[in-house]
Amino acid sequence: MSPIIECRDVFKRYGKSARGIKELLVGKRRPVESRYARDWALQDVSFEVERGSAFGIVGHNGTGKSTLLALLLGTIQPDQGVIRCNGKVASLLELGAGFHAELTGRENIFLYGSILGMTFAELRQKLDSIIAFSELGAAIENPLRTYSSGMAARLGFSVIIHTDADILLIDEVLAVGDSRFKKKCRQYLHDFKARQGTLVIVSHEMETLEEMCDVGMCMDMGKIAHQGGIEDVIAHHTSLMKLNDQTMESTK
Amino acid sequence: MMIEHKIRQFFELLYLLVQKELKVRYKSSVLGYLWALANPFAFALVYYIAFKIIMRVQMPNYSIFLLAGMFPWVWMSNSLIQATSSYKNNASLVKKVNLNRAVLPLSNVAHEMVHFFFALPVLAIFIKFAGGDFFLSWVWQIPLMLLLQLFLVYPIALILALANVYVHDVEYLIGIFLSLLFFMTPIVYPITMVPESYRVYFEWSPVYSLITNWRDVLLNGNLDPETYLLAGLMAFTLGGLAAVFYRKASLRMGELL
Repeated sequence: MSPIIECRDVFKRYGKSARGIKELLVGKRRPVESRYARDWALQDVSFEVERGSAFGIVGHNGTGKSTLLALLLGTIQPDQGVIRCNGKVASLLELGAGFHAELTGRENIFLYGSILGMTFAELRQKLDSIIAFSELGAAIENPLRTYSSGMAARLGFSVIIHTDADILLIDEVLAVGDSRFKKKCRQYLHDFKARQGTLVIVSHEMETLEEMCDVGMCMDMGKIAHQGGIEDVIAHHTSLMKLNDQTMESTK
Repeated sequence: MMIEHKIRQFFELLYLLVQKELKVRYKSSVLGYLWALANPFAFALVYYIAFKIIMRVQMPNYSIFLLAGMFPWVWMSNSLIQATSSYKNNASLVKKVNLNRAVLPLSNVAHEMVHFFFALPVLAIFIKFAGGDFFLSWVWQIPLMLLLQLFLVYPIALILALANVYVHDVEYLIGIFLSLLFFMTPIVYPITMVPESYRVYFEWSPVYSLITNWRDVLLNGNLDPETYLLAGLMAFTLGGLAAVFYRKASLRMGELL
């Protein structure tokens, strides 16, 4: 069986085009020297993810993890290489992008669901289930501005998981709501995986990755530093971080 | 099946986005609906004072002449101003969700169109009181004009919104451009006041045929087929341009915002 996600020789460079008339006329700013500065945001990235598995991605800040997720989601395009997702992709990159504070929870379910690609018919059919999962109860009729951030995140999470996605992209948002809801989300993701759903998880929490993932990769400066079983990946990442700390110490 | 699903989804999302704008406006302000009327009436009042009372323009029924041009103008300029920053203001939608991005500027144009549509009865009654008349031909003329304006303004809105992602100055330039265009279009004066030799610089613009046709429809129940078709042709060309530009420009949008 072919893998559900295929990423082959992907290169991504962020544009250095001028951002305004001033820069067009006066000339571009010279890029600032920093340890994050590099030619390619992603360089020669290749990996595959099998259906029904969870793929973990680790690496320090600014190493290209979020860029990679955006490429998988399709909001940005690679400069070279091929990315193929053989299924519907949904992201938990930002819960509730498109929520409006003045609308009620129920109205926001329709708006957000539609933004995520659901039709009215689907939404009406799933409405009860969405409200039930969010555990908002009667608060669903109140405007979103009265919600706590945890409540809004719960609603966002609940809508996203009803999109019938085959692949879920997760970026550090396993911390939704209180500890009980967190547990429920984790349980949901385990069930999702058991139903042959595919997860791609970016996290700095090694316990989460160990718990959820089977395989993964460790990234460093836009390149894949190590790829394989999740324990190896985490071990590699830890040693990389130590090395990084040492060089930071010595340059002080 | 897939295509049909996508088209349905596009229009449902458009409907929800427009509904959101309307709900939010009516929920969070006491006057709600009246604001849709206040803008064009206030503009018209300003120009009435300036041109009729101070500068004494000799024109019968100048007030309804002004209003009939002002309402469609306000629809157009409001939607262009909003649409220009629509991608920038919805950066999280562009960056974090894989949705059909063409819908965002369209929702601005469509929601201003709804305001315009709801304001039309009030405008018609005002015209009637000021010496105008109702016309049965509005039944087909007004829908035709609504379509023309929608198909003319949307491509411009889309191009501006995309351009603003690449060059942020567009949202500042649009204000200046619109005030120039406002006086380059016979809204506060009739085209006959423009010297014959200069008229050609005014008449080329699709906005010219849009505004003059609106006024002719609202005041006389007349629609000039020639200028209508010409403007329609320009809308079609602009639509093609916008589609090509959208296909190219929307690819890099996610990383530029």
